[in-house]
Amino acid sequence: MKKLLEISLGVVTSVGGFLEIGSMATAAQAGALFGFQLIWSVVLGTVCIIFLVEMAGRFAAVSRHTIADGIRERFGFNAFLWPLLTTVLVNFMVLSAEIGGVAIAGELATGISFQWWALPVAFVAWLLLWKGTFGLIEKGVSMLGLVTLCFVVAAVMLKPDWKQVAVGAAPSLPSHDTANYWFMAVSILGASISPYLFMFYSSGAIEDRWDKSYLGTNRAIAGLGMSFGGTISVGVLIVAALVLGAHGISQVDDYNQLPLMLIPIFGFWGFVLFVASLGIACFGAVLEIALQQAYLIAQGFGWTWGEDSKPRDNPGFASVYSVSIFLAAIPIALGLDPLRLTVFSMAITAASLPLTVVPFLFLLNDKHYVGEHRNGIISNIAVIFIITLGFVLAVVTIPLQIFGGT
Amino acid sequence: MKLLRDMLDKQVVDREQVKIGKLDGLVAELRPGKPPRIIAIEVGSVTLARRLGRLPGQWMARLAAKLGGERHARPHRIPWSKVRDIGVDIEFDIDARETAIFDWQDWLRDHVIGRIPGA
Repeated sequence: MKKLLEISLGVVTSVGGFLEIGSMATAAQAGALFGFQLIWSVVLGTVCIIFLVEMAGRFAAVSRHTIADGIRERFGFNAFLWPLLTTVLVNFMVLSAEIGGVAIAGELATGISFQWWALPVAFVAWLLLWKGTFGLIEKGVSMLGLVTLCFVVAAVMLKPDWKQVAVGAAPSLPSHDTANYWFMAVSILGASISPYLFMFYSSGAIEDRWDKSYLGTNRAIAGLGMSFGGTISVGVLIVAALVLGAHGISQVDDYNQLPLMLIPIFGFWGFVLFVASLGIACFGAVLEIALQQAYLIAQGFGWTWGEDSKPRDNPGFASVYSVSIFLAAIPIALGLDPLRLTVFSMAITAASLPLTVVPFLFLLNDKHYVGEHRNGIISNIAVIFIITLGFVLAVVTIPLQIFGGT
Repeated sequence: MKLLRDMLDKQVVDREQVKIGKLDGLVAELRPGKPPRIIAIEVGSVTLARRLGRLPGQWMARLAAKLGGERHARPHRIPWSKVRDIGVDIEFDIDARETAIFDWQDWLRDHVIGRIPGA
């Protein structure tokens, strides 16, 4: 019974944690311009993140190491420095984009320009990290994140042609805007396969003191949670395709176009739901990424870490998330367009994947860490596939950014 | 046991399980005619910077001395004789508070973090 509760909580957590500005913006853009055609990249991204999250959780539960600990220990400090620096930089951009997402929600709700929201948003997020516990942040914010399920409800109510949806789940070649198509596919993959997500998950498993008895729970959470999350992204894409596309909006390059999505279905409440979804989902991501920055640095250098202890008991850890949040708010406060930053940082995330995913192949096959719970053949094929995908993405991202970026 | 594989970069904790840092470096004593022997471990930014190269090591030592005083110019050492347990973490029979390793965290607590309400 307790395990069942744990699983449902975990699923709720990952559903809430999955959708953020990245998946929302990229799915909306893809739906508006290409209809259902890019659903496959959401599906592919979701399958990849299911495997990575399951492995991150298994690694933590069996070896009692987080992924960051594992990379440093297994490959040494000099090699660890590369994923460390890259991830810190990518996280910084994504964190900034998420703060921008909450700020946009603020602007849509009040009419006060998003720039003015950046620092207040950063302050409230910081206050929650400063005073809150891991459980509060993990469960509380994620519960609220369930509001994003309104996109699934909307998608169903729009009665899409499900056969077309199914066709979109298989990759196909675009008939127009080829470079843009592939750039969007890359951005969607970057938004789904976020390193902060699986690294945060492994830290969470240690914070929640997981051991081998959690392996089943872990598998259920990874599979169900990420699938639900992917379903919501597909929901956003379907709604964007049917509503934005039908209103002649094919280029979503202004965030003011986004709230239109839910209005034909829910009327005024559609606007409210959209703003709430955007605000809450991005705010949850702000908390997670800021914490992940602190986890990563603290674990990398062996400081004490843990969201449950008071800031004065781990000053290094608390300093990192404090500085991260406020630094990331600055570009938004200065007026950097959150939507452009989002799409850009999702593509960069995709390009950075090899550095964080290659270690999985070694860590999850090292019996010193995972013993008999080593990767099976399917998991290894999945990792090798994701690594290959990561390398392809790393190579194509920059050219696509130039030719297909918005 | 393969020292570099099994020891280097592992988490180091003190007798109260307080995380001190990672095992950033090993100090070995060369003995004529006999295999070298580990006499101490090193923890901290100076050791880490030395692993990147001679120059980064010198820069970090200068920086650390400037920020924390002369005793931070050299890496923090913990004698190998104090090792108590090697598992997921490596435990040493010392009290982290009695070392200089946490000086910067103490400074941060006393001058910045501790002054913010609710810390």
